[in-house]
Amino acid sequence: MKPDDKKVRNIGISAHIDSGKTTLTERILYYTKRIHAMHDVKGKDGVGATMDSMELEKERGITIASAATYCEWKGYEINIIDTPGHVDFTIEVERSLRVLDGAVLVLCAVGGVQSQSITVDQQMKRYKVPCIAFVNKCDRNGANPFRVINQLKTKLGHNAVAMQIPIGLETQTEGVVDLATMKALYFDGEMGEVIRVEEIPQSLLEEAKAKREELIEAASLFSDELTEAVLEERGITAQLLYSALRKGTLKREITPVFMGSAYKNKGVQPLLDGVTYLLPCPSEVQNVALDMEKNEEPVVLANDSEKPVVALAFKLEDGKYGQLTYIRVYQGTVAKGSTIVNVRNGKKVKVGRVVRMHADQMEDVEQLPAGYIGALFGIECSSGDTFVSPGVHLTMTSMFVPKPVISLAIVPKDNKSQMAMAKALNRFSKEDPTFKTYVDPETSETIIEGMGELHLDIYVERMKREYNAEVTTGNPRVAYRETITQRADFNYTHKKQTGGAGQFGRIAGYIEPVSDDEFIFVNEIFGGAIPTQYIPACEKGFRQSMAKGPKLEFPITGVKVVINDGASHPVDSSDMAFQAAARGAFREAYLRAKPVIHEPIMKVVVETPPEFQGAVMGLLNQRRGMIIGSQDEGVMCVIEAQVPLAEMFGFSTVLRSATQGKAQFTMEFALYRQVPQSIAEKIALEVAQNKKSAA
Amino acid sequence: MSKNTAALKREENIIHLTYEDIAMLKKEIIYRNPLTSLGYENEDILADGGFGAVMAHAGVGKTALLVQMGLNTMLRDKKVLHVSLHDAVSKVDVWYHELFQNIAHNFNDAAVKEYWENIQPRRFIMIFKEENFSVPKLEERLTELMEQNIFKPHTMIIDGFKFDEIGRKPLAHLKELAGKRAIRIWFTVHAHRHEERAPNELPVWFLHVADLFEVIVELAAENDGVFIKAIKGETPASFQTSLHLDPSTMLVKGSK
Repeated sequence: MKPDDKKVRNIGISAHIDSGKTTLTERILYYTKRIHAMHDVKGKDGVGATMDSMELEKERGITIASAATYCEWKGYEINIIDTPGHVDFTIEVERSLRVLDGAVLVLCAVGGVQSQSITVDQQMKRYKVPCIAFVNKCDRNGANPFRVINQLKTKLGHNAVAMQIPIGLETQTEGVVDLATMKALYFDGEMGEVIRVEEIPQSLLEEAKAKREELIEAASLFSDELTEAVLEERGITAQLLYSALRKGTLKREITPVFMGSAYKNKGVQPLLDGVTYLLPCPSEVQNVALDMEKNEEPVVLANDSEKPVVALAFKLEDGKYGQLTYIRVYQGTVAKGSTIVNVRNGKKVKVGRVVRMHADQMEDVEQLPAGYIGALFGIECSSGDTFVSPGVHLTMTSMFVPKPVISLAIVPKDNKSQMAMAKALNRFSKEDPTFKTYVDPETSETIIEGMGELHLDIYVERMKREYNAEVTTGNPRVAYRETITQRADFNYTHKKQTGGAGQFGRIAGYIEPVSDDEFIFVNEIFGGAIPTQYIPACEKGFRQSMAKGPKLEFPITGVKVVINDGASHPVDSSDMAFQAAARGAFREAYLRAKPVIHEPIMKVVVETPPEFQGAVMGLLNQRRGMIIGSQDEGVMCVIEAQVPLAEMFGFSTVLRSATQGKAQFTMEFALYRQVPQSIAEKIALEVAQNKKSAA
Repeated sequence: MSKNTAALKREENIIHLTYEDIAMLKKEIIYRNPLTSLGYENEDILADGGFGAVMAHAGVGKTALLVQMGLNTMLRDKKVLHVSLHDAVSKVDVWYHELFQNIAHNFNDAAVKEYWENIQPRRFIMIFKEENFSVPKLEERLTELMEQNIFKPHTMIIDGFKFDEIGRKPLAHLKELAGKRAIRIWFTVHAHRHEERAPNELPVWFLHVADLFEVIVELAAENDGVFIKAIKGETPASFQTSLHLDPSTMLVKGSK
């Protein structure tokens, strides 16, 4: 392994569904000689793209779990994380971005900046990941890379500049003009592997000159040397231009845009050059950990292989040989045979095999120095755990994990399936923090929870395929919540005298709604009406009550409890008695506080040809959707709406049939909102029926 | 109005949505609406099929004023179709949200949030790219919305219309459409510095369509703030006055 981290790039490839990320990655791996044949995502050869290693991904033509791989390009080592494009799996995208130093934002030359690109871009902003863009599919009808560059500016606010101009578009796509070197690049050979460099065709010369001017003007903001060269009218070398652009890219103040068609093998190699020239090496990125011993004070990590280890497990996979843990080393060196500690549980772990991954194939290495991404074998941990050298108490910043919005009951067909299902669920919930599972104590059913219908569907399918667990699923259930809408007082006495030690506790106070917190407990008792030692028991009792509403049994949120009076008994009062009193007090006040049901509302973005705009709006409207707006983009129209999750089941089928399969949509959780009275009554009825049938 | 109970409630951190809060918020916005303060008595200002324009240089607050008027309409339980030819849906949404937050900053957070959720369905944002925009296209979209009962606007706001490029005919057609659909339309008009003005204070390039407008107001930034004055359709009360606006809310601060 070469220790020079200046020649290491950890990059992600992020984009909207179907922008061609996986195809692009496949081409990159081919040109870097990591693979020796190319396969398409939905290939006729039945092999599927290398990065889509899961059987299910190959079948559906989408990338689910981001596979990591590494390749070499002109002496640079590039670690690539292929990220899933569907919004249901954005936790994967978020995790990938956490460990990356730079990213390639892939955009479709026809579709342009689509809804998912906006989500991914926001995530990149959150983790301050510098990026370059690749406008793919220039061979498609309606391709217009400059419209996409414009959208990058207007929709995402990027200072996007073209690094190239296309030589021919749509079926005429031949190559690109490199504006840094002012040469025309053509991609010959069966697989576009032979780059033919020629003079710029006369017909494109004027346009190329104008675009180069724009590029130089944008880049000169980041380099005095370049500005001087411009003012003195000296010749500007590609190197000078790249060095200025690099400075801007690293600060996220400029986004260089490359273009081509991965499918037609055009423009991929210059993009790789762009990755090496413009994106940062690990030591150019500041990574921050939290010091557990100093109240989680932020600590800047040094990208130094000699220092103590700090590494993050960002992905787990269950392979043929046991659990494979993908890690990114931020500081120190993780070597075979060394000892590292899992900060979360303090367990010491001896590092066995250290490998570098190439999708589902691997190669053994001796060590992973700072800045590198690789995988460890046989390490028991959860995704998101931090590993450190013994004696170090640093943890990588925890990632934002959204709460599940949908649940599904699953029942195994037989005993064998039950065992396999348990194994699968254990694995999935470790791999994916947005996937949760539990056994409902009342119905004894196994419940899985996640971020959307497709999210859960994929896991049910994976259970069948990877673990041979045959399961039947119930209807998806929406994660409703209850909250109160007005203040209500309570004054409750819990008293029991049934032989032996009695129980006594009185609690008085009020509950009222709060908007941003789930639960607030305020103790306003003066003069010891309730002795101090029983106050935690009171809080515990109230907290317990929040788990299930007394009427509809949904979790309760947004309640502030204030206790201001009470009474105790020197002998009969106890923690138990006050907990019971708190539960009773809550029950007493809750129904008077006018409880309401809240339901998850999803942000739904539909992209459709304009001729179906009316039909799509009609569909959303029928589903209690509130249309925020529509955006006419010429060839496509984007409709943004907020729709209750409960109404979204089966939407993809309906949308397909209403639009001849030409529309697509993405959906993500937006907020919780009160359910209308008529729907609330229906839900209450359903709950009552379910209770009856369970009994 | 200055010391209201809602403000006191906020200090105590009590979160209730009471009728009093909403009524007061509505009153405050309607009371401080610059156009009613200029003396236009009808609370809609324009009749069915009427055209109104807010003219100003770039950056003075044309969009903000129209968004404020949009909010005013929403608060009166009427629907607004906001058409923008330059901003994204999310950006227009933020305009409304922020202006509403600024206006309602004296009221308790939970009440404001809940009330915002209640009035939000009264607004529909429609975005066109400037180069793709045409009056027939707008008509087609509007018809779809109205005939499917998805959204029936009472007021339309068109932000970014290029009066100097689009001739009189499409605008006249739009006015006819507005009359037919019983809608009133407000436009932003981008005025330029050092441009030639007619005796009626209107830019010369705007004169060919000026007669289609019932009301035209102008916003101007001066040293200490933004002022609004009526150029066309002024009423006696507004005849000699110009009003000082709060730039964060585009509501009236006081008269000059």
